Amino acid sequence: MATNRWLATGNFFSTYKEEQRIFLTNIDRLTIWSLIAALYAWPLIFQMSNKNMLVIDSILVAVVAVIGLNMVTGFAGLISIGHAAFVGVGAYTAALLAASWGESHAILTHAWPLVILFSGLVGAVIGGFVGLPAMRLKHLYLAIATLSFQMIFTWTINFMTLFNQGQTMPLPRVFWLTGKVVRKDHYFFWYFVILTVIVMSGFAVRNLMRTRYGRCLIAVRDNDRAADAMGMHPGFTKVYAFALAGFFAGMAGAMHAYLFRGAGIESFSLHQSISYLAMAIVGGLGTLSGSFFGPAAIQFLDLQVENLSAWAGTILGSSMNLATALRPLTFGLVIVLFLIFEPRGIANWWRITRSYFKLWPFRY
Amino acid sequence: MKKLTVTDVTLTFGGLNALTNVNMDIQPGLITSVIGPNGAGKTSMLNCMSGFYHPTTGELKYGDTRLTASSPHEITSLGIARAFQNIELFSGMNVLDNLMLARHRMLDYSFLDAFFYTKKASRVEAENRDYVEGVIDFMELEAYRKSTVGNLSYGVQKRVEVARALTLGPELILLDEPMAGMNIEEKEDMVRFIMDIKQERNTTVILVEHDLGVVMDISDQIYVLDFGELIGHGTPEEIAKNERVIEAYIGEE
Repeated sequence: MATNRWLATGNFFSTYKEEQRIFLTNIDRLTIWSLIAALYAWPLIFQMSNKNMLVIDSILVAVVAVIGLNMVTGFAGLISIGHAAFVGVGAYTAALLAASWGESHAILTHAWPLVILFSGLVGAVIGGFVGLPAMRLKHLYLAIATLSFQMIFTWTINFMTLFNQGQTMPLPRVFWLTGKVVRKDHYFFWYFVILTVIVMSGFAVRNLMRTRYGRCLIAVRDNDRAADAMGMHPGFTKVYAFALAGFFAGMAGAMHAYLFRGAGIESFSLHQSISYLAMAIVGGLGTLSGSFFGPAAIQFLDLQVENLSAWAGTILGSSMNLATALRPLTFGLVIVLFLIFEPRGIANWWRITRSYFKLWPFRY
Repeated sequence: MKKLTVTDVTLTFGGLNALTNVNMDIQPGLITSVIGPNGAGKTSMLNCMSGFYHPTTGELKYGDTRLTASSPHEITSLGIARAFQNIELFSGMNVLDNLMLARHRMLDYSFLDAFFYTKKASRVEAENRDYVEGVIDFMELEAYRKSTVGNLSYGVQKRVEVARALTLGPELILLDEPMAGMNIEEKEDMVRFIMDIKQERNTTVILVEHDLGVVMDISDQIYVLDFGELIGHGTPEEIAKNERVIEAYIGEE
């Protein structure tokens, strides 16, 4: 029998291994790989200003962080309002290395991928430690426990001289095969680095979700009593979910620190934690694609509202204070509207679009 | 196969005795039913056996292993599986993933194998998928393999619940009212499955059930509870004649 690997129709599987694949049809594979290729290619074709590249880079950093948040809040169903603190753990790990070895130590400038990975591992350890209350606590109480970590983190950074009391701790420029990455190329260079990390994380998450290490997360979300009866320790599984979130957050933090050439407390505040949560919700909790859409949507919205409030400030008197209130106002409004009208997030629109094109030109 | 023994188990919830000095002797390879009126302590007994409750006093033993203080996942690893009375499936996942979750302990690849989806992970997944397909075949769930569990009908969900317990590959399976709320055809199917679980899969069955007709037909051994006390045990014929049992069910003359 001739096998058809291009379309979903007539694509019959005869072994279990065939059904394990990420891309069930060649069209899926082609679409995703050409999308990734396009993401790598476009900055080479269109010259972007440093300012715009920085915005895009910070979206990408947020994507890595939100992938982590989606592991714990989306897949495992444990609300974490301390995610920016985990990102901060990663950033301060890199910054502490720079502070203790000297800013231009060869490991920091040349072996920076290792520094990013190491920060991820430190994030995982801290994440697992902070996740320990999840062994006993549930729902809102657990959320408060993560909130307390956010508070402890902020205070520790603000009051310890080791962390420069929250002032920026510098990180060096890095070297690539072509030599030192200079100011002009800095954001351009990090775009590719972070994109690579995202692609790898994306595939890693897909891999995890088709094995026991991902399924157990959904099990504790859906029903942790039954998960216990299935022979997994629900407490350890939740701690593991936090460690996983900490890993991605730690990597995001190290990249954030490298990108902005320093770590300062203002990027890892409670406000940022809520932002990450908003990104995850708007993108779609418990979906991988949501981790890409959410940060992009929220950052884009943020920029537009900033322009809008600048414009509003020119026509309205400063006494009205509308311009400053506009940003938190729209931010809250968007989250509420999404929770009411599209709780499954932008990822659901993506799903609907995909299923439309799967059937096209037929309607059903 | 090992024997499950319950010795002098008392379970107290703040002054209320859910179980009082219950003794049971579950013979391997048979269908043992636990019956009794509402609130008699049947599900409490099952919860003690599966580790969700820990008896206040008394002892549970499976072979030579003490179960009294074990948690559910430890008991599962001993080969005792449980199906819940109120459906406790992973409602967001499809039937296949629900059953693959029951293979959790048997998927013996490392985290890094999973992270990179190595050949080993792929092979182990495929092997266990094969086992799961065996159970799907046994429980006649082929048509629902890829359906989300939350969207299935009640009767099918109950069947998935039993299938999930079977997928754990147990020596002893605890079924908590597998026929509650089913129509007559679904009940007949379920009875057939329970008989097959005993005969084909060589598994000891402990059945909690309200339908006395079914219980009398398929049980090898019956324990009757009333207000947390054991009021009789024996073969179905003995139970049918036991005066205390008749009194508990029908009342005094």
